[in-house]
Amino acid sequence: MTGVLAAPPPIDNTWAAPAIAIAVAIPLAILVFALVNAARGGIRTPNDFLLAGKRVGAGQNALAMMGAFMMYSTVIIIIGHVALNGYDAILFVTAFAVGSVLGVLIYAGPMRNVGGHTMGDLFVLRARERPARIASAVVTLVTYTMFMVAMLGAIGLVATRMFDTSPEANLPLAAVAMVVVGLVAILWVYMGGMPGVTRMLVLKAILVGSFVVVLTVVVLAKYKLNIIDLLDDAEANANPDKRGYDLLGPGRLFGENSTPNSGQDPWVHLSKLVSVVIGGMGMPWLFMRYYVATSGRDARRSAGWAAMFTAGFYQLLIIIGLGAVALLGAKGIGTNYHHRDTTLPRLVDDFGGEWASGLLGGVAMISVAAIFAAMLINAVTSYTKDINAARGRQPEPAAELKEIRRNVLVIGIVSLVAGAAMVPVFTRIFIPTVVDLGASTVLPAIVYSLFWRRFNTRGLMWTVYGGLAVTVVMVAFSNGVSGDPNSWWPNSDFKIFDIEPGLIAGPLGFLFGYLGTITSSERNDAGFAEMQVRALTGAVVPPRNDPSTGSANLPTGSVGVPNGSADKRDRGSRTPSGAH
Amino acid sequence: MGTKNSAADGDRYVAVFDSAQFTALRRRSNAFIGWASVIFYGWWLLVILLAAFAPDFYRQDLVGPINVGLLAVFLSFNLVVVVASVYMRFARTQLDPLSERIRADLEGGLR
Repeated sequence: MTGVLAAPPPIDNTWAAPAIAIAVAIPLAILVFALVNAARGGIRTPNDFLLAGKRVGAGQNALAMMGAFMMYSTVIIIIGHVALNGYDAILFVTAFAVGSVLGVLIYAGPMRNVGGHTMGDLFVLRARERPARIASAVVTLVTYTMFMVAMLGAIGLVATRMFDTSPEANLPLAAVAMVVVGLVAILWVYMGGMPGVTRMLVLKAILVGSFVVVLTVVVLAKYKLNIIDLLDDAEANANPDKRGYDLLGPGRLFGENSTPNSGQDPWVHLSKLVSVVIGGMGMPWLFMRYYVATSGRDARRSAGWAAMFTAGFYQLLIIIGLGAVALLGAKGIGTNYHHRDTTLPRLVDDFGGEWASGLLGGVAMISVAAIFAAMLINAVTSYTKDINAARGRQPEPAAELKEIRRNVLVIGIVSLVAGAAMVPVFTRIFIPTVVDLGASTVLPAIVYSLFWRRFNTRGLMWTVYGGLAVTVVMVAFSNGVSGDPNSWWPNSDFKIFDIEPGLIAGPLGFLFGYLGTITSSERNDAGFAEMQVRALTGAVVPPRNDPSTGSANLPTGSVGVPNGSADKRDRGSRTPSGAH
Repeated sequence: MGTKNSAADGDRYVAVFDSAQFTALRRRSNAFIGWASVIFYGWWLLVILLAAFAPDFYRQDLVGPINVGLLAVFLSFNLVVVVASVYMRFARTQLDPLSERIRADLEGGLR
């Protein structure tokens, strides 16, 4: 048993209100269509489509970042995780907030200042263009494929949990939901590009954020704002742990035998806490949020505000999770691994009946669709920009815009077909694997690119492909694949690692990058100087040889646009070349 | 675009990079990021190592049901807010004016 379609154990679905959920989801989808459609008129160049013309202000961008963090697994499952596993799950929630600081301190400002569309635009300053572009595309598209499958799985889960009342997972409904919702999301991206995706994520952050705030207020109101009583009740009503661990103390995930057939506790949970912190922000599709900012400063501000919002948001989720077990009792929440995602809908149903639970269903469906859309535009960006650059193609802006729109449809539909086929098998292992890749390839490659003078092409290659290889091998021999009742092949056992690969693969990614770099004689001090000056100041020296054709060398499309609008628009970034 | 720059453009970056102003900016920025990362992630590592290997320390009650472990979580969340806001303030007041000057010199000199 692994994913959605392989059917979690049956559960008496007492909360779903399908009719109301549909009645909420459809108007919300139409509202998104309206937002996306309104964004459509402003799209004239490839940069308008992929980067929203770099005109997204810090406040809006911070909300969109929040929207990008809110997923089925990081909101709905995590609440049930806290209700069931208490303190150790709370640490896991904390790890998400702690990880967001990496975006503030390291990624946001420099990556926006260096500019461009993908990680490849940073890599080319430190390595030869073709391999650097291919490395960026490989990381982005591998990450995309895995995460996209997981998001399709989430669409299926929302459908079976909140748009259906049967105790068994309704597989045909899940499949139909994936196709319909997936197509709707593809259409959103096709119409509105990044401006549309940004508005959609802002709407989503506001909807989910308000829902969570209201729910927290209701939970706290039940306890007359007395958090001590809430915690006492949570402890008293908790699902008893076989080994006797309290809900509010460590042990339920750290203790011996927390991981089936494993002697590697407490390292298993520890490795997850480390991996999320170092890898969670290293997702290429989150980097898009930096590139769309008006300046490096705005990127930094939006990352900073998003980190603060995140810290507040996750604390509310913890209160809701503990409130759920306090109010509903041990039997009222999801009592095993597969049923953690039922805790939130049950609590919502308990408070507000079918209207509230239907509202939750509708909002949840729009939310997972929004993530799918945000990932799709990232894949299209990397596919178009990195691959074109690697092949040395410089399409005219108008032709490129057409190519981008076509890629949205092609990549979207291929994803839907291939993804839906993979959902039953891979959903469970893919989300952690993406986080591990963030730790083992993205973090070392970017930290070396930004801070190490000596870093070069071979170092980049070894980091990216070495980190990728170690991660994939470790996942293949992990308890997600075999040797665990919840694994892909529960009946065979060739697992070696129960620990999360990120803990090992992260440091190894750094080691590979170091070894690759020092074994190669390539060294580009001027490249390092250019990268540092650009990353820290946002300055760009326009090529001087011939201003009109010279600017076509820049990796952005807008500079070639003859009309003045591109210049005017980019003045917000205070870059004379209008390119970065 | 790095690989496509003419040598003259590359030289301009190198000249800025070697300037005293830029060296000061780079030092300031790296020092803050380095120390903030070490302190912040060091704290987090301590929090999770204690949870894994000294759980009894975390189980000690402080006020009612609130134990040392929950306090550590609460402090971690607040530290996220503190580090983010202190860095934003530091960058705004200590880095931005300097980087703005360097940028104006570099780009202005070309006009």
